[in-house]
Amino acid sequence: MAVASPGRSPGRSPGPLARRLRRLTTGRLLGVPLVWLFAAFNVFVALWLLLSSVKTSDAIFSSPWRLPHTLKWGNYARAWTSGQFGHAALNTVVVVGGTALITVLLAAPAAYALSRITTRINSVLTLSFALGLGIPAQMAMLPLFVFMNRLELVNSLFGLIVVYVATSLPFAVFFLTGFFATLPVELEEAAALDGATPLRTFWQIMLPMARGGLVTVLILNIIQHWGETVFALVFIQTTDHQTLSLALLGFLQQMQYNGADWGGLFAGVALVVLPVLACYVWLGRRIIEGMTVGSVK
Amino acid sequence: MTATDTLRPGRAAPAARRRTTAGPGGIRHSPLTARRRKLFWPLVLPAAAVYVVFFAGPSLFTLWLSLNKWAGAGPMTFTGLDNYRRLLQDPTFRHSFTNTLWIIFGAGGLTFLVSFGLTMVLRDMKGRKAARSILFFPNIVPSVVIAILWGFLFQQGGPVDSVTKGTGLPATNWLGQENLFKVIMIGLVWTSTGFYTTILMAAVDQIPPELYEDCELAGANALQKFRHVTLPLMWDVVGVCAVLWTISAVKVFEFIYAFAGAAGQMPDTGVWNTALYTYGEAFASGGVPRYGSAAASAVVMLALVGVLVVLIRRFMRRDSVQY
Repeated sequence: MAVASPGRSPGRSPGPLARRLRRLTTGRLLGVPLVWLFAAFNVFVALWLLLSSVKTSDAIFSSPWRLPHTLKWGNYARAWTSGQFGHAALNTVVVVGGTALITVLLAAPAAYALSRITTRINSVLTLSFALGLGIPAQMAMLPLFVFMNRLELVNSLFGLIVVYVATSLPFAVFFLTGFFATLPVELEEAAALDGATPLRTFWQIMLPMARGGLVTVLILNIIQHWGETVFALVFIQTTDHQTLSLALLGFLQQMQYNGADWGGLFAGVALVVLPVLACYVWLGRRIIEGMTVGSVK
Repeated sequence: MTATDTLRPGRAAPAARRRTTAGPGGIRHSPLTARRRKLFWPLVLPAAAVYVVFFAGPSLFTLWLSLNKWAGAGPMTFTGLDNYRRLLQDPTFRHSFTNTLWIIFGAGGLTFLVSFGLTMVLRDMKGRKAARSILFFPNIVPSVVIAILWGFLFQQGGPVDSVTKGTGLPATNWLGQENLFKVIMIGLVWTSTGFYTTILMAAVDQIPPELYEDCELAGANALQKFRHVTLPLMWDVVGVCAVLWTISAVKVFEFIYAFAGAAGQMPDTGVWNTALYTYGEAFASGGVPRYGSAAASAVVMLALVGVLVVLIRRFMRRDSVQY
């Protein structure tokens, strides 16, 4: 496509000021403030959540926009103990951490093999993993529940980990297969020529090179399961095994009987959101890129 | 500018690369490859086994289950298409299905419209990276949390209510029967736009800026630029987005469950979608779980995803523009 158009008379091409003025179209004049309004709304919701978490329930309703006079840290204490968020947080850390680690441990070798060792069924296998991306949880839920019940893995943290790992594998394998394929082959060949066994090549050469991809999968997996609700609702049945999302739902339920404790609820919500927010501030770009990867190339 | 039909996004690149590494010539038969090939199954099998036993297998079993009558234990009786017939006659399911379609097309349409708008404005805006990060954030907050916050914002006496009262607008019961589902859909749009805006922005960033400058010289307005430059050049990515949206829209569950549910109970059937219906039939039906119809409903969900993805691919297929 021709970019410079010498045919056009130089007199018609506008100067920098005129050009800048033209760019200030009505669309832009309206659009930019709207974008910032949208962004401001998000920030405002986050701030309002944090503020409400240190207010009394009355103040949340009576003066939703005002700064609290005294900070009610008791909200957090109540949520932590009587709302059982403390226990739930521990369960969640175990489940989420376990899931992320096992997922990567299983997916990395498989993705390596699928991207580097060509056999006849490679494409079939890769495709069947990718198909899992489109299967809704509800599709597997029923037989899985009966099956896990027989294995006595219902209402156990380990059982929940197993379910999470199985449902995370499609994305992890899909993502890492693409990632391994972008790594150079030369090092691998050199290692092999130097007499390293294939397993050692994978373990000592390829895995360290793929560290970036592995960490991305780890982070995305953690974020995805931090507040997972569907499988947790089905597979966890008692409060001592509940995860954070269930603790939140439980707290809502308690409020029906013990009166509305909005301060406590917001403290609970903040306890769930703050780690995510911290993670996002720290690793934001990586998270965004990891989640949107593969869509644009 | 040349048009080809070979440029497919994403997967094409790694696949091509893999082919070159395995090469038609040398490496294929080298002892190195032979030794590596022995490693194939030990590496793949653990992941494949877990995936098949705990996810793919159960999903396939659901297909069979949907043709049977079963209460979760005891004998199964084959009933053919009975479950599906019952679904069709169940007004709750029909309503749930309509709601799912509303989410896919209504909320989806709005999400894409807003995302396109945001993308166009963000393209050469100051502070675009910051704005993008802020808009993306709701996407990674757990849906349960978003639902609780969203519900509180719209509560009677809540922030939205007090704003509408303050500006003199007629008082609306946002969480009443007639508005509840609309508020849910707007909430979904709010959380998803950031995600799609980010993807579309990445696609737009790859469009050479000269094309826009050329448009400006020719005196094109924003809409014309979008219609004749942006849209054709990111068509493939729009297709990918549509597929991603379909998959995630059919799965929507937590948002409705936690938003409209009176804590610990299922929400009013008026806001159910097929995902809630499936869960309700199997795990929250009170009496005997109706696994058969729950399975049938799950199969309908999967079929909906499948049909829509095929249709999207059919509709979006055209000559890609190479630039």
